[in-house]
Amino acid sequence: MLEAFVFATLLCGFFGIILKKNLLMKIISMDIMSTGAIAYYVLIASRNGLLTPILSDVKNGTYADPVPQAVILTAIVIGLSIQALMLVGVMKLARDNPTLETHEIEKSNTL
Amino acid sequence: MITLTLIWIALPFFIGFTSYLLPKLDRFLALLVAFISVGYGLQQCINPSSLTMQLVDHFGVTLIIDQLSGYFILTNGLVTAAVILYCWYTDKSTFFYTQTLILHGSVNAAFICADLISLYVALEVISIATFLLIAYPRSNRSIWVGLRYLFVSNVAMLFYLVGAVLVYQTHHSFAFGGLQGVPPEAVALIFLGLLIKGGIFVSGLWLPLTHSESETPVSALMSGVVVKAGVFPLVRIALMVGELDPIIRIFGVGTALLGVFYAMFEKDAKRMLAFHTISQLGFVLAAPEVGGFYALTHGLVKSALFLITGVLPSRSFKELQHKPIDTRLWIALAIASFSISGFPLLSGFGAKVLTMKNLLPWQVIGMNVAALGTAISFAKFIFLPRGGEEKVRPGFWPGMILLLAGLVVANVVYYEAYTVTNIIKPLATIFLGWLVYWFIIQRISVKLPRVLEQIDHLMGVMSVMLILLFWMVWA
Repeated sequence: MLEAFVFATLLCGFFGIILKKNLLMKIISMDIMSTGAIAYYVLIASRNGLLTPILSDVKNGTYADPVPQAVILTAIVIGLSIQALMLVGVMKLARDNPTLETHEIEKSNTL
Repeated sequence: MITLTLIWIALPFFIGFTSYLLPKLDRFLALLVAFISVGYGLQQCINPSSLTMQLVDHFGVTLIIDQLSGYFILTNGLVTAAVILYCWYTDKSTFFYTQTLILHGSVNAAFICADLISLYVALEVISIATFLLIAYPRSNRSIWVGLRYLFVSNVAMLFYLVGAVLVYQTHHSFAFGGLQGVPPEAVALIFLGLLIKGGIFVSGLWLPLTHSESETPVSALMSGVVVKAGVFPLVRIALMVGELDPIIRIFGVGTALLGVFYAMFEKDAKRMLAFHTISQLGFVLAAPEVGGFYALTHGLVKSALFLITGVLPSRSFKELQHKPIDTRLWIALAIASFSISGFPLLSGFGAKVLTMKNLLPWQVIGMNVAALGTAISFAKFIFLPRGGEEKVRPGFWPGMILLLAGLVVANVVYYEAYTVTNIIKPLATIFLGWLVYWFIIQRISVKLPRVLEQIDHLMGVMSVMLILLFWMVWA
């Protein structure tokens, strides 16, 4: 059930990238798609259990898998920095193309 | 050896960031790092030590350095050094050299990865550094081209991530070898990400615009090395996981033919070179065992050609037909074009012969047609009028000599290629290609549609490729 929702997020993001005409909306859709990917990693990490894996004197409970969580932290940070760079690029493009329509930008910037 | 490798990996990043503290020395430091990479790569090629480093427990985080990586690393070092020499006397800021170093370091990292997540990090750092280099001039066009590249790259990597976690779910490890018994959707997703990053087949149509609209040194770097970072994992996987080998070979042939088809009809010099890059990467994939040597020759040739087109008076072939180019420039152009067409005495010949020897029977016709197409398209460069006089920028010749000398010296890798039967076939191909060029291509003018290169269509093609890949892996 949860898995279906996560894939729905991924698909919504991907369709947003294709179907939205505004560059800013495309970037936000990319963010949604990356949220979906991150949620999928967390879902897979929670397959074994839901407790935070901290080594202590308490008896072993059903710990969540820490490896996908660690991996996806990297992906979250990378996604964040790429988004920041893209938004700066959009700011600069917006000076000459205030409506940020990709069709117009492409026409004026490619042959 | 392990310490040396770790130092070599960390050095470009460390020096890249500290060169901000010593801005007067930025070019020297960058060149130093490039030559250190050349030395490391040479050592791996000549004396392969086949080092495998398991970084942590048993989650499959591995680094593998062997002769295959050695070739790619050598390419990286030589191309970076040539590009830095090309930019020596221009007033590029320290930022440019820092980004070049970061790109160099992350490409190095991609060439020794053997697990999915280290590769992901390396590819993303490559995307970011490349974006910053493409957008360096800060014009609207360069920002748009860079943004488009970053967009496509990031979406590709998001698909790749989903595939990677599916592999983890099956095997509890991220190693490349784990692609053996995974569900087909995992392989399809991972291949989609890698095919897009490497510019293979239809998913690589972001490449022509990106490589042709960037500045010359950046185009040379990208075509020479960055696309190799996308192709290298595919070669590695083809060697490790036998059942995925046919799929990769199919894509190799398809890519070679597609790229050459577009390149034959291109009227713009830089776009033709970019389509050619797509085609040559197909050659690298078609025979994975010997892909390393082919990648080395291609990297040297393509960056040399891009640097030359940077100093030619115009980008369109029509205009170039009317203005004679400088004779020394023409010689460099001819050497590079001959090498990529497979002329003997240059290492492109050895690479082509070696690749043809390692093809499966069903691939032979397709790859020969692609080789013919290569000869046809490079006839456009060889038959340009020469005799003019031109002053080229001072940094141009040192870089060019480095690359072209590398082409001649690399011949020693496969000197067994020089037998009579082997020499006749490429010569015949080249001659036939020139004939086709004279009688057919020069006369006709076909404008191929550029619809597939718009950003919406690039994304749409991704979904089509995903379905195609899933079907291929399932069957």
